Amino acid sequence: MSPRLSQAADFIKARQNPDGGWGYGPGRASLVEPTGLGLLVLHARGDVAAAGRGLAFLKGCQKPSGAVGINPRAAEGSWMAYAALLSFHALGASEEARRLKDWILGFEDASSRFTKEELSAIATRFRYDASIPGWPWTPRTTAWVEPTALFIIALRRAGVPPTEKRIKSGIDLILDRRVPSGGWNFGNPYSKSYELEASAMSTALALAALGAAGVPEGRPAVGAGIRFLEKSLAGDVSTATLAWTLLALKSFPGAAALVPGTADRLAALQARDGGFRGNPFETALAFLVLSDAPILRPASWGTR
Amino acid sequence: MGDPMSGKRISRREFGRLLGTSALAAWPAAAALAGRAPQSVERSGLSPRSQVALVPCPDYGPETLAAAIREGWRSSRPPDVRGKRVVVKPNMVDVSADRPIHTDPRLVEALILHLGDQGAREIVLAEGTSHNRDSEWLFRRSGYETLAKRRGVRLVDLNYDDITPVQCVNPRATLLKEISLPRTIHEAEVIISVPKMKTHKLAGITLSMKNMFGILPGMVYGWPKNTLHWNGLPLSICEINGTVKTHYSVVDGVVGMEGHGPIMGTARKAGVLVMGDNALAVDATAARVMGIDPALVDYLAMAHKIRLGSLRREDIAVAGENPERVRIDFALDPEYALLRAPKGR
Repeated sequence: MSPRLSQAADFIKARQNPDGGWGYGPGRASLVEPTGLGLLVLHARGDVAAAGRGLAFLKGCQKPSGAVGINPRAAEGSWMAYAALLSFHALGASEEARRLKDWILGFEDASSRFTKEELSAIATRFRYDASIPGWPWTPRTTAWVEPTALFIIALRRAGVPPTEKRIKSGIDLILDRRVPSGGWNFGNPYSKSYELEASAMSTALALAALGAAGVPEGRPAVGAGIRFLEKSLAGDVSTATLAWTLLALKSFPGAAALVPGTADRLAALQARDGGFRGNPFETALAFLVLSDAPILRPASWGTR
Repeated sequence: MGDPMSGKRISRREFGRLLGTSALAAWPAAAALAGRAPQSVERSGLSPRSQVALVPCPDYGPETLAAAIREGWRSSRPPDVRGKRVVVKPNMVDVSADRPIHTDPRLVEALILHLGDQGAREIVLAEGTSHNRDSEWLFRRSGYETLAKRRGVRLVDLNYDDITPVQCVNPRATLLKEISLPRTIHEAEVIISVPKMKTHKLAGITLSMKNMFGILPGMVYGWPKNTLHWNGLPLSICEINGTVKTHYSVVDGVVGMEGHGPIMGTARKAGVLVMGDNALAVDATAARVMGIDPALVDYLAMAHKIRLGSLRREDIAVAGENPERVRIDFALDPEYALLRAPKGR
């Protein structure tokens, strides 16, 4: 591990809350997403005790149904469960991972709630197929691109095959929601006759998910998405988006030329204290992507 | 009325039913938790007549803005901000280089300077974006990050703030029986909503009350605050505004957005600021400036019905310009054409 990565891990460790978790900022309340990624950093460094405390926090967030919400007090499971699945799987909490996997595969969106008339109206006016099941942010609401992508990435890393029905459907949703001129936004390619703009973060997540599911880069949507990211990289890009972008680019051999520059750019954002924007989540994400941590390593790497 | 964020459609008939029988039809006289009370005229201690300032503001020049804010502040009923922590909540559903989607940072900066002059102890600029959750990028692109640094104010992403559960003051509330409030909002002593004057493809118009959607954290309610869409826009807007008091509103009508707002519309100059302590009265007045009958806007009618204030012209004392005189009819999507107010009303 490079000294800079080690410094990032130190940053993470120093900001672990007494309850074992992490928040989105130092001293902030523990939540599942920053905890899930934070403990993966300590696990990657072999810090068993600290990672174990993080794992205990996550286990405390799991409901009898297997669901994981945003924190132990959450009444229901929701989108942050993706990060818990990555951790349960990586740290060998197999029973918790199995129960959470089952819950995620049954995590209901709104696709079955729409009437035929509503589906038709959405298809006509907003040009997407709302009957395709994906994953929502919160239970029984509309499925969107980003939570669908996050869950696909986590399920694939946890060993669920891309042929699994929900993953296939999630891929269909992502492809259906692409912005015609390239890339993805939160999940509305159109509003009436207006094409809505793609965003770099949504595009990076969508591509990382497509890569995780083995969608070939020859698919037009993938190529257009990579070109959108390349264009985005010419301008201002946020820390988290840069990290997700790096993961997406690593997922497709055809984008390999963009990887070194993107990695250098992300690494350059590290502050003297070892962190990225002082945010444990963003620091952990950057660490995991820059260090090619196995839990986030794109599947295509193994075949190169 | 359709909401593609949820797919749900609320018919006029259903809306009428909701007004008549829903949980929101009567707010309790019981006190709210955390000192937050429904903003009915009676409970808030306001006189029955709201005071709204409608101030000309032809451009975003710093002196023009400063003078307009001073004038609006003076001629309305502003909150006493001395020694208090004030949260300024702009509207930043997204940011575009060529469309005026977000509240202009020059107005936000002028307001921050004004609040400092008025003795505010701490000023926080806070937003929870709804479409694009990349707030680091949006705060930079919008100009808010630069102004926050320049003026030494804290910039907070409400989507990921620590949360505090707050009971909705209406025990018969729908799905927002308990609202997860960002700590920044919960601990605010004064909340100032600073929306952009815009049309809205799902709500008709978006002004101060709709702007409060952005205080709810995306990490709890999803993006684009999707849980709220499934609950129904009018209900959600009223439940949020009935639970969290907006102490003052400043509508950026210098340049607004008409047509297919709140993102894909086009710029429309109205050349005004609309300011006041009652969000419903401010919104009703701003709607009139836009050539819209506020009584025909679902959530404003519902807010009036449940006594979050009054939208009736006779209940609102407008200082400064006459809304009819400065009226500029904002272009409306065809399905909202029915919102257009007849001339002379």
